Amino acid sequence: MASEQRPRFADRRRFLFEAGGGLSGLGLASLLGQDNLLAATSGEGCVGGPVVASPFSQKKPHFAPRAKRVISLFMSGGVSHMDTFDPKPALTKYAGQPMDGKGDIVVRQGHPGPLMPSPFSFKQYGDGGLWISELFPHVAKHASKMAVIRSVVGRSNDHVMAHYELASGTIRMGWPSVGSWVSYGLGSENQNLPAFVVIYDARGGPFGGPANWSAGYMPAAYQGTIFRSKGDPIADLKAPEGVSDGQMRARLGLLDKLNAMDLEKNPANSELSARISAYELAFRMQSCAPQTVDLGNETAATKTLYGLDDPITAPFGRQCLIARRLAERGVRFIQLYHGGIGNQNTDTWDAHGNVKENHTMHAAESDLPIAGLLTDLKERGLLEDTLVIWQSEFGRMPISQRGLGRDHNPGAMSIWMAGAGIHGGQAIGATDEFGYKAEQQVLTVHDLHATILHLLGMDHTKLTFAFQGRKMRLTDVYGELIPQLVKA
Amino acid sequence: MSSVLRLSAWLAVAVSLVTAQSTVSFVKDIKPILETRCLKCHGGAMQAAKLDLRSREAALKGSEKGPVIVVHKPDESTLYKKISGAEKPLMPMDGKLPDAQIAAIRKWIEQGATWDAALESGAGKQDLASLENWKVPEGARSYWAFQKPVKAMVPKTGDAEWDTHPIDAFLHSTHQKRQLKVAPVADKATLLRRAFLDLTGLPPTADETRQYMADRAPNAWEKLLDRLLESPQYGERWGRHWLDVARYADSNGYEHDFDRPNAWRYRDYVIKTFNKDLPYNQFLEEQLAGDELPGATHDRLIATGFLRNYAKVGFREKDNPQFRVDYLDDMIATVGRGIMGLTVQCARCHNHKFDPIGQRDYYKLQASLYSYVEVDHPLTPAAEAKEYQSKLAAIVARIKPLNDEVKQIEKPYRDKLLEAKYKKWPQHIQDAVFTPEEKRTAGQMLLANQIIRTTAVTPAEIEKVLAEPDLTHWRTLQARIKEIEKEKPKPIAMAMGITDGDYRFTPDGAGDEPAPGKGIKREAIEGSYLSDGSKPYVAPPAHFLHHGDMGSPGSVMKPGFVAVIDDGSSPTELPPADHRTSGRRLALARWLGSPNHPLTARVAVNRIWRHHFGRGIVTSLDNFGKNGDLPTHPELLDWLAVEFMEQGWSVKKLHKLLMTSRAYQMSSQFAAEENLASDAENLYWWRFKAQRLEAEGVRDSILAVSGSLDRKMFGPAIFPELPAEVLASTDKGIWRKQEDGPGVWRRSIYVYRKRGLPLPFFEVFDLPDQNTSCGSRVVSTVPTQALTMLNNEWILNQARRFADRIATEAPTGAEAQVERAYMLALSRVPSADEKRVGVEFLGKNTLNDFAHVLLNLNEFIYLR
Repeated sequence: MASEQRPRFADRRRFLFEAGGGLSGLGLASLLGQDNLLAATSGEGCVGGPVVASPFSQKKPHFAPRAKRVISLFMSGGVSHMDTFDPKPALTKYAGQPMDGKGDIVVRQGHPGPLMPSPFSFKQYGDGGLWISELFPHVAKHASKMAVIRSVVGRSNDHVMAHYELASGTIRMGWPSVGSWVSYGLGSENQNLPAFVVIYDARGGPFGGPANWSAGYMPAAYQGTIFRSKGDPIADLKAPEGVSDGQMRARLGLLDKLNAMDLEKNPANSELSARISAYELAFRMQSCAPQTVDLGNETAATKTLYGLDDPITAPFGRQCLIARRLAERGVRFIQLYHGGIGNQNTDTWDAHGNVKENHTMHAAESDLPIAGLLTDLKERGLLEDTLVIWQSEFGRMPISQRGLGRDHNPGAMSIWMAGAGIHGGQAIGATDEFGYKAEQQVLTVHDLHATILHLLGMDHTKLTFAFQGRKMRLTDVYGELIPQLVKA
Repeated sequence: MSSVLRLSAWLAVAVSLVTAQSTVSFVKDIKPILETRCLKCHGGAMQAAKLDLRSREAALKGSEKGPVIVVHKPDESTLYKKISGAEKPLMPMDGKLPDAQIAAIRKWIEQGATWDAALESGAGKQDLASLENWKVPEGARSYWAFQKPVKAMVPKTGDAEWDTHPIDAFLHSTHQKRQLKVAPVADKATLLRRAFLDLTGLPPTADETRQYMADRAPNAWEKLLDRLLESPQYGERWGRHWLDVARYADSNGYEHDFDRPNAWRYRDYVIKTFNKDLPYNQFLEEQLAGDELPGATHDRLIATGFLRNYAKVGFREKDNPQFRVDYLDDMIATVGRGIMGLTVQCARCHNHKFDPIGQRDYYKLQASLYSYVEVDHPLTPAAEAKEYQSKLAAIVARIKPLNDEVKQIEKPYRDKLLEAKYKKWPQHIQDAVFTPEEKRTAGQMLLANQIIRTTAVTPAEIEKVLAEPDLTHWRTLQARIKEIEKEKPKPIAMAMGITDGDYRFTPDGAGDEPAPGKGIKREAIEGSYLSDGSKPYVAPPAHFLHHGDMGSPGSVMKPGFVAVIDDGSSPTELPPADHRTSGRRLALARWLGSPNHPLTARVAVNRIWRHHFGRGIVTSLDNFGKNGDLPTHPELLDWLAVEFMEQGWSVKKLHKLLMTSRAYQMSSQFAAEENLASDAENLYWWRFKAQRLEAEGVRDSILAVSGSLDRKMFGPAIFPELPAEVLASTDKGIWRKQEDGPGVWRRSIYVYRKRGLPLPFFEVFDLPDQNTSCGSRVVSTVPTQALTMLNNEWILNQARRFADRIATEAPTGAEAQVERAYMLALSRVPSADEKRVGVEFLGKNTLNDFAHVLLNLNEFIYLR
């Protein structure tokens, strides 16, 4: 059947018919009977969760995966590759000269300047001798785990469109993000938490806002859920002040009773039973989600590892530590943003005015937390099946803008991956002598997406969703795997 | 290494290559270079700088700046100088030619620039030509959806209950064939609630329920339907369905997500038009071509907003001509899927993979829409609009000399301030800025250019350093300017619409800034982009785009339609008498609304059926093509489509036809084992399909039940309060601060639709993506819906208001309160069991607790 909007739901419906509406086997009523309402599903109870037929029921991958989950670290604003992971000595050699022989230079703002050397020094690190700039002394210690891809190209020099491309493979609004595809394809390992969680910078959301984690034409269930890094993690998770635990328990009890009476009058109606079970899941989420962001049980050493004791590193450190806790609990796709709207030039990596000041500041905020996350994941054995991706929406220009800044450059960007069997210590692809354009093994965002799905055990040509009369894919009709990324 | 050195290095290589090759062949060596690297911009579709390299004659004529080829003299030929880098900008724009090719061109010019073969613009010319001349494959027209619907004989079932209404006869004959048991008629209270939610999107009030339950007349149901169809709330409910198709929103989307201050007028137009039951084909005509209709009323101009509802970047649009082509694609997708149920947009880059729709069809449709330009139609008499414009111009003219004077005073101060600012830069930048222009190195030129162009001095900075008497003089001037600005006339009402014009001459928008030497804006100053009607309107050329690529234009396309469903009887252009537009959109609208069109009526009828019956006769509402679903009841669909047209495309008559059927009045609370075994999905409508209310319906019902709903219609959008962290997720566009209270307790259709920030309450209940046309929403059931309904502060407040209302209307006795609560929330009296449970609950808990539970009941958010 080529119905537009109900690809996998036919299965769900059938399941519900067979199960006759008895879903978790526990029932809201029995949960309500437990003494401590909000601790009813604490501890172990928040990992895994009952098998419930929902859009997030676990689904089998196409083949054995290397990664079970993804932590995506998105540096919003556009990180300069020449100043981080792609050193260009030619910039020093030809400093102050025009960049000739590259055709018409397309800048986003104003007019091209001369070639500008990096204000940062580079050193080699780890087994493979990866070049990393002085901006990331802590991340550099993990060089042997990281595969740096230097030849990714994007299609737009506009922040928002470039964000959308990294998120969904297209520069247009309204397409499902990679996190939605992954939750659609694999479901969740934990029925008590959303499958796709987004934590954005305390300064504000990334360029392009919520469309970055939208489910586009897929059911809304697959969109990312915002976790706040302070207070209740999910909107409306708990009743506001004035409604007591006991009151809420009484209300839920009556609701359960009346809905059950109603269900009897409506034979063979799976949607109604699904809604009853949704209340049950919501109830579990109420205890599991706050527990996920409660860092009270973390040791002082762990907190230090993520930089929580330093005001500079604490905000992103908190995001990274929560990411680890979500990973532990089986959340499928964890999307962190570093850099958020506010003042674009200072609150994001968008270094139009002064690349040295801007990148020094943002690297200082994120370097230690990211290194801490890698160390922690490794120590807990999670890195083996967690794919960590560090990325941005585009690279920057080898020429100057307004004297000391750099403009947007979708012609080349550096991203890195670690964990999940990634062959670390290598640099993949190369840019031209100045870093203006990717030149060797040029990779598109479709290639990245194909590779991410592959690592998760999915064939990007087979993961489809029927829409507008077509079987849509995350990678459209493109996408090639990056062969040397994993050890054979 | 300087660039000069590098250049001479290449020349050395080039010369040696050429000497190695004694003669150059035009066909073998030059033609391929011209075809693959030059014609894109200097060929058929585009002749940048007015240079056409398709023939020797045209090439020798040169560009607008003069000859580009001096025969036998490459070093004097601009063409050679530009490709070799001796003259800027380097050509081709998309990257330098290989040295061997540069050398070959040099040699070719030396040899006399002979031209012994015709050029082809682009490789694989034959294939491309076949795409442009694509014909409908034989037999393709026989597909069911491409044939005109005809009324089949209404079947006889022999069951009197099912034989009186044609819909019932069609459905029941299938029931019989498939041996399906049918549900009984639902009870009166259920039907009342069903009709209210379905036609108005609101539950009946207690009074309305009482009245209807008391009406024993045999035609009580029909009278009820008539009343509801006449109620203003009908348009608010059914207009909303259409707004989904029309991808309506109040903001642009994309990075800036600019506000569209006049978009709401289109929303109001849709509500009004549904209420007055304008024939559907005329509704389409107004939306596609309201400006081209004789007697374009304000409503018709507002209606053209339909085509302008696309998500729009709104920044550097002129610098990115691709954007416009994407907007056209969005229009084609919307007209295709929303009106014809065809995925025409799939044929943008290649012929459609599944349906017999050629790329040719796509570009004919594109040509039908291509002349469009965005325009804000003034909604005042022409004379008033003119007066407004001239008043504005007069004010600008009065201010200008004052501004000039201000600038003169500022000059010396400004220069000093600028110098101080330059001196704050590192030495190498100061060197570049302070070196006299003629002595700067190439790199210093770039650097100085950047700094000088981006360093500005604000009036506030100047005011701080101005000395007397300049300061007093300056302040007096500024005050005078402010005074004059106050005389600006009040803005007049505008409709956000479209009309025909010439997009190449539209004014620059936000962010548009021509780079030096790019000259993009040259055309823009040549004249107005709107035709004044003094001479016949000429549409700008719309090209076939091979692979959908603007860089590979093919022939200029004539307007036209989708060939496989076009019988050729409709004209493709209907130029209006006033000469201002092409009449192409009007022709398109007439074709769509013609009784000969096989799809328009079927798609409309099917969508309306879907909203009443929970699923379309064709499940895939937007796709009647081969990849869509087949109709479960093809004869019924066709019968309805023809009936709809025969009844003058009246949507209200169709509602009544559907709702007076026995099938519509079936109970949803029915199941039979046999039915579940053979048709578990109820594809053949053996019972009524209960439907979860749409997001807007949930919110509106809550407001109605709590007694908070303000039924005020129309006007600018309302802004419900948003949680701080949601507001913080984007700082673009607008979200006005409005306190939660009666001012925003209006129907959801009036809530501001911000593309970049959907209202979380709507989103959680499956608001569709606001950027693409949507015929049928997805329904999901997820825990976040439960969390919202349980814990959201707004809901809790409405529950409290609902409790207060119950207490006011039933001041004493738990039993009376339970009864009242059920009547208000569920439009019925509670059963004995329900009453007992309710009373027991109220013994230990508050009315507030009870009210909140009722709003969470499954029954409350289902139309059943």
